[in-house]
Amino acid sequence: METRFRNRLDRGSRRFGTGLSFVTFGLGGTLLSLTLFPFLRLISPNRAEAQRRIGAAMRRSMGRFIWFMKSLGLLTYELHGLERLERPGQLIVANHPTLIDVVFMVWLTPDACCVVKRALWHNPALRWPVIWAGYIPNSEGAQLVEDCARILKSGRSLLVFPEGTRSIPGQPLSLKRGAAQVALASGADVLPVTIVCDVPFLTKGSRWYRVPARRPHFTITVGQAIAAQRYAPAGEANSIAARHLTAKLATHFSRGIEAVMRVPPGATLTNPPEVQSASL
Amino acid sequence: MHTEQEIFERVRQVLVELFELSPDSIVLDAHLYTDLDIDSLDAIDLILELKQITGRKVQPEQFRHVRTVRDVVVAVRELMQNETAA
Repeated sequence: METRFRNRLDRGSRRFGTGLSFVTFGLGGTLLSLTLFPFLRLISPNRAEAQRRIGAAMRRSMGRFIWFMKSLGLLTYELHGLERLERPGQLIVANHPTLIDVVFMVWLTPDACCVVKRALWHNPALRWPVIWAGYIPNSEGAQLVEDCARILKSGRSLLVFPEGTRSIPGQPLSLKRGAAQVALASGADVLPVTIVCDVPFLTKGSRWYRVPARRPHFTITVGQAIAAQRYAPAGEANSIAARHLTAKLATHFSRGIEAVMRVPPGATLTNPPEVQSASL
Repeated sequence: MHTEQEIFERVRQVLVELFELSPDSIVLDAHLYTDLDIDSLDAIDLILELKQITGRKVQPEQFRHVRTVRDVVVAVRELMQNETAA
């Protein structure tokens, strides 16, 4: 009985905390866009340097935001293989289970440009941050691939979520082939990052106030770099190479997710199996 | 000189080679984007390949309204007719 009450209290406070985080994120992003980011642009000699500084500020802010959510007891996380993110000029691809994956990834990746949803350019809170940071709106087609390849060749890393949007819970991952096309066009290595959240949290189509029955735990694993050129033997059509590389990534992600989910963190053998509806 | 059937067989062959599709999945009513999982970058490859086959300049606009395999066959036939007319 008492446990049940505590669970409900815990859930209520996490609902409040999640709402608070949203407001903080929106206000923080707007405030930085009106103060720090323009200031950094003013003191920078050129646009590239401004974007580098704004990117670094963005990175720190995202780190603080994750710390904020963790301090509110909204989530816990573990990170593996982060040193592999340090190498410049890599195409970093991650699966996309939750709304805050990009927050984690921007925080963890030094000097990365991101391909993010086109709709953010119409979002009042995020419009200016993505413009200031020089992020790239996702779109279909050859122009996007060219832009991305150019960034990689300039030595910056590029962060892409090949699913194009958040995963649909309970369904196999569906990857678009644009990321593979970018890898093939640029010759950059592909660094796969598997993001696992052990309970459905801020998933696609869910309301933010539907917080999970227990605190979500993120496991973020940076894999080994994949040499994209291995998938493009001489004479093979680009369309085929992109399919093979994309299939490789899909397998990598689904195996990674499976491996983490098989051993839920914090679970011991004495725990009863997870029955979420029991605490509702 | 080219029957509809011949053009269809050629288009089918191209689709199989370019996109590793199973020949059975390519029917006239198959939708390129939804049924055959061809994306916008694939479409560019496809147009380049058709350019090779027909030996004609292909304007991407001519393929803007192409949605199904049938549309591709019709577009190729029109290209070829223009060729004989020219």
